Amino acid sequence: MTSLIGNPLTIVWALVTTVTLASWLVARDGGASHQINTTVTLVVLLIAAVKAQLVIWHFMEVRRAPLWLKATTSAWVVGLFALLLGFYFAGL
Amino acid sequence: MTDVTEDFTTGVGNSRPDADTRGHVPGDSSMWFFVVGDLIIFGVYFVVYMYFRGQNHELFLHSQARLSLDVGAVNTVMLLSSSLFVALGTVAARAGNSAEALRRFWTALAFGAAFPLLKMFEWIPEISAGLTPGTNLFFMFYYVMTGMHLCHVALGLVIMCFVIRNLKTSQPPKISFVETGATYWHMVDVLWLVLFALLYLMR
Repeated sequence: MTSLIGNPLTIVWALVTTVTLASWLVARDGGASHQINTTVTLVVLLIAAVKAQLVIWHFMEVRRAPLWLKATTSAWVVGLFALLLGFYFAGL
Repeated sequence: MTDVTEDFTTGVGNSRPDADTRGHVPGDSSMWFFVVGDLIIFGVYFVVYMYFRGQNHELFLHSQARLSLDVGAVNTVMLLSSSLFVALGTVAARAGNSAEALRRFWTALAFGAAFPLLKMFEWIPEISAGLTPGTNLFFMFYYVMTGMHLCHVALGLVIMCFVIRNLKTSQPPKISFVETGATYWHMVDVLWLVLFALLYLMR
């Protein structure tokens, strides 16, 4: 039976779960007033981008995939979050 | 990032050489075309959502305040945990350990099945409070995007049941099928991570 503790996949899970809880606290406390808050938005969107990339890279095993798949999925993450942040700041 | 995670796909203690999986497309290539296509379609929805949000910040911010941030966060952890066990199960199946793979996939199925249950606890009070897709533009996006995602979750759970059946009945199990199911499930997880940030977290 492969051990869960110390397993690299578990470490990725712990990291991603920790930053999920961090972004939850940021939104709950920093964003409690439900006013426009560029700091909260920037933090939670960047955390989401990192989490998406980590899941794609490690859980989906793209880190071992051919270059075309690495490039396509990374371009999706970078392109999507660049557009999301661009539209957010353009709409302020 | 690569050094500390050298044995991610082979798993700790597995005998398969690391180099064997390098340059390998996990699962069926046609599933990847579907996954990339789905990521692009959802990506368009996400960008359109952000555009309309920029037209009326007040409406979106006040509507967001009606959502249950806590349930959203717990559901995120459920999907992440489910994805972890799918990844561990895939590694075990590849190493030829079907019994361990089965245990991992059953655990993944349990975490995954919690997602739609929690979603019902979220949706039913909201709909009872009069928050429907017709309430305003935010709730239209909210129900359409989370509804489409929930359909993906439901399909993913069905696929996971087939993976479990494959692990039980095929000796040796078809690794390509295990990887294909895993790829689909992780995509469902990735889409939720973005939805959670857009609908619940950002301000």
